[in-house]
Amino acid sequence: MIRNYIKTAWRNLAKNKFYSLINIAGLTVGLAIGIMILLWVQDELSFDSYHKNTPNIYRLELFGGTGASRQIWTLGVAPIGPLSKQALPQIEDFVRLRDNGGNIFKYGDKVFADENAGFADPSLFSVFDFPLTQGNAANPFPNDNSVVITKKTAEKFFGTADPIGKVIRSNDKENLTVSGVVKDFPDNSSINYDMIMPFSYLVHHLLNDDKVDLNNNFTWFSYETFLLLKPGTDLKDLSVKIRQVHLAHKPDDTDADYLLLPLAKMHLYNADLTDKGIGTVRIFLIVALLILVIACINYVNLSTARSMLRSKEISMRKIVGAAKWQLFIQFIVETALLFLLAAALALGLIFLLMPIFNQVSGKQLIFNLSDYHIWVVILSTIAGTLAASSIYPALLLSSFEPLKALKGKISAGIGDVLFRKILVVTQFVFSIVLIVGTIVITRQLNYIRSRNLGYDKTNVFMFDMRAIGPHYDAVRAELLKQPGILDVARSSGSIVHIGGQDGTSDWDGKPANSTFIVHPMVVDKDLISFLKLKMASGSAFTGAPNDSAHFILNEAAIKEIGMKDPVGKRFKMDNITGTIIGVVKDFHFASMKEKIGPTVFIYQPKWMPIVYVKTTGRDAALAINAAETQFKHYNGQYPFSYYFMDDVFNNLYKGEQTEGKLFNYFAAIAIFISCLGLLGLAAFTAQLRTREIGVRKVLGASVSGIVSLLARDFVKLVFIAILIATPLSWFAMNKWLQDYAYHIGIGWWVFFAAGLLAIVIAFITISFQSIKAALMNPVKSLRSE
Amino acid sequence: MKRIGETQMIKITDLEKYYRTEEVETIALNKLSIEVKTGEFVAIMGPSGCGKSTLLNILGMLDDPDGGSYVFNGVEVAHFNERKRADLRKHNIGFVFQSFNLIDELTVFENVELPLIYTGIPSAERVKRVEEVLDKMQIMHRRNHYPQQLSGGQQQRVAIARAVVNKPKLILADEPTGNLDSSNGNEVMELLTDLNEQGTTIIMVTHSEHDARYSHRIIRLLDGQTVVENIMI
Repeated sequence: MIRNYIKTAWRNLAKNKFYSLINIAGLTVGLAIGIMILLWVQDELSFDSYHKNTPNIYRLELFGGTGASRQIWTLGVAPIGPLSKQALPQIEDFVRLRDNGGNIFKYGDKVFADENAGFADPSLFSVFDFPLTQGNAANPFPNDNSVVITKKTAEKFFGTADPIGKVIRSNDKENLTVSGVVKDFPDNSSINYDMIMPFSYLVHHLLNDDKVDLNNNFTWFSYETFLLLKPGTDLKDLSVKIRQVHLAHKPDDTDADYLLLPLAKMHLYNADLTDKGIGTVRIFLIVALLILVIACINYVNLSTARSMLRSKEISMRKIVGAAKWQLFIQFIVETALLFLLAAALALGLIFLLMPIFNQVSGKQLIFNLSDYHIWVVILSTIAGTLAASSIYPALLLSSFEPLKALKGKISAGIGDVLFRKILVVTQFVFSIVLIVGTIVITRQLNYIRSRNLGYDKTNVFMFDMRAIGPHYDAVRAELLKQPGILDVARSSGSIVHIGGQDGTSDWDGKPANSTFIVHPMVVDKDLISFLKLKMASGSAFTGAPNDSAHFILNEAAIKEIGMKDPVGKRFKMDNITGTIIGVVKDFHFASMKEKIGPTVFIYQPKWMPIVYVKTTGRDAALAINAAETQFKHYNGQYPFSYYFMDDVFNNLYKGEQTEGKLFNYFAAIAIFISCLGLLGLAAFTAQLRTREIGVRKVLGASVSGIVSLLARDFVKLVFIAILIATPLSWFAMNKWLQDYAYHIGIGWWVFFAAGLLAIVIAFITISFQSIKAALMNPVKSLRSE
Repeated sequence: MKRIGETQMIKITDLEKYYRTEEVETIALNKLSIEVKTGEFVAIMGPSGCGKSTLLNILGMLDDPDGGSYVFNGVEVAHFNERKRADLRKHNIGFVFQSFNLIDELTVFENVELPLIYTGIPSAERVKRVEEVLDKMQIMHRRNHYPQQLSGGQQQRVAIARAVVNKPKLILADEPTGNLDSSNGNEVMELLTDLNEQGTTIIMVTHSEHDARYSHRIIRLLDGQTVVENIMI
């Protein structure tokens, strides 16, 4: 029986090539794009979930500060892990991590400077599933100078030679002996290193070189701590107890609360479970479903519209004995066959599009059909869409009354015209919402790009000076002589994103038991004028020795601490007591998602490793060459790397830019699939009305009159879609914009433009068929009846 | 002529059927009573709109009566649900239509095979029975052709083959020669007569006095009622 169904289905497909093509094309594109987005979503949700201990691993995060400056600190103090484990039986183990970037590693004549190195406790290899292919997981670091490297790094350093026991020279100072090789960290791991050195190395070096006892240091917030807990641990209770451990060693940190963030949520959530990416995942999940629904609607619409053409076949099958369920199965099989074809084509399309998708989405997804995860997505998508597309038409077709169907009494109205109209409206609602989304996201990104940041970042590049430090003045003077260089300055980091936080500040009148979290940045005397930052009051640094006891705060900081006439007032930070000499006007030193927070400029020549060079733009290449020459002069073999402020700035909004680009594509695809469906329906309507068109033409109707007659009904549906999509898209995009402290408004013209675009595209689609029908010779049209 | 059996196959009593629109109610069958014996060949005649086709559809269990009784082979079927009717239909009744109603997407063989598929006959048995009946209808050489590739007469032979392949007790024919020229029409009538002589009961709706002469009895309808019955000698 199934063979008979497949045969009929195949012959139907072949007989109605135009409609088959529309159905298959719509489903293929819909399935391909839907599956790709779902693979992206799956990858995002899979982060850090593959460790067998995942359900019991938590990252310990600090919720500190008081008032408006209270926030979550991912990096905490070093001793909290070991002390908590000692005191609290719920904690089975802990792992501390700290990045160790900016080093140069040598092996023989090979020099590497871009290794992603870090310090970790040996428990990294027992708590997490990062398997060692060589070495001893129970004792990965036999001594402080041991290093575990990834397989890829081993190949890079040593080729095919056995890496164990090989000695890598670090910064021309230390010898590191390879004690283990770990499998490369998966792409969906939040923890990702090329080289891992023991945490004890860091502890001993800080103790010996800087006399800092990291095991008892509660002021350096630089360490990530993971805890492996016993199953069933009460997290709230444990957080309170960890806080007590902290306070037992540092009683004045009364504002320090601890949060435990589950490992599996680390990638997409902040420790307070607010959005750190889950919002985008949800948006993409919705977009994938919308695209799949649009593709399904096409199929449902076309198959129900065309069902009347099959009424004779269905009637005869019923008359000769087919039961309703047999016909139901027949139509499900037919849809499944079409889906099978579309799915096969979709898989091919995914193979072709995956590199482009990866490029746009910034992922490295591999479409490997031997990976069962991929099949979970593919099969569930196909099963879901197949069910959504097949059940209604199958029910409809199988419930035909044979007599009516046979007599042709089942007319164009079959399958409920209203239902079909609702589906077309739904498709266009989705498409218009996506168009509005595209316009709003693009405009918001343009707004971010064009908004006055409060400083000038044009034609500025930066580089890490390393050993230039003591020779900075000479290097600056030398660089300023170059024709392409307009100015040179230095600071502790990039002003585009001042990441550091400090909670030690104090001033006269500061409320008791309050912590004011401020973002400090060390700047030299030239940086304020270099970046064209504006002073609200007071003066900038002059470079005099007493500047190291001077502070410049921004307006937001002054407002938050509530200080009147701040210039000349006492301010203390990190054991330096001094005076506020100026207030700098607010500028954006973080993403525009955040309100401008408090920042403070400090002058400490020792802590300014980043050189800023302003070029003429045209001679940027010359300026970079000059900077490289100076760098090499003092740093020898160290590779010179630089980055433009514009790129750093753009990086801040990488996620949004990706989202924007993808939205553009998705909206275009949604419109394309919707139009395919519309094209099919328009063609079918024209076919049904062939006789009417013939009669009208004989009676003198013009081509334009007939086109408008056929297009009118569809355009009406798009108008209804605009009415529904407007409030929906306003609500959705307004919510999206709320994530930005600084954002555009959504003007009425956005909806007008999106609606107009939808109408124009729909009209062009329909006209294509309508004109064809209108131009048909009426004699033929009438004869065909 | 084959002797008509004594067993009663169909007995309808006071059968009523109305067609209603919002404004008009049309009476298609008005307390109609008819009996048909096993092995009979009955022609139903009458002007357009007299209720011939309605009667045939109710007899074929494709339609419900609005009132009265319909006893088929001793079982009251007037109020059977769709599933029971479908089941009874596929095992007992074959249909032949004026416009053949073959499925365009299926070949001659596949069209004839269809009723056997729905009655669950195994594949090998199906092939045997379809070939037998195609042979009998002298259409075997066209087994792999599609309906559009056949003449009207050939299409009606296929339709008859499809109607008889399940060996039904009753064949309902709705103007089986209406779309055929006289030569093809006569051939179809000969085929139906042969089938009747082999024991199949036939009820045929027709406008043609010529065709009606092939039957044993003509029932003439007017306004949903029997006006006269002619026994053919």
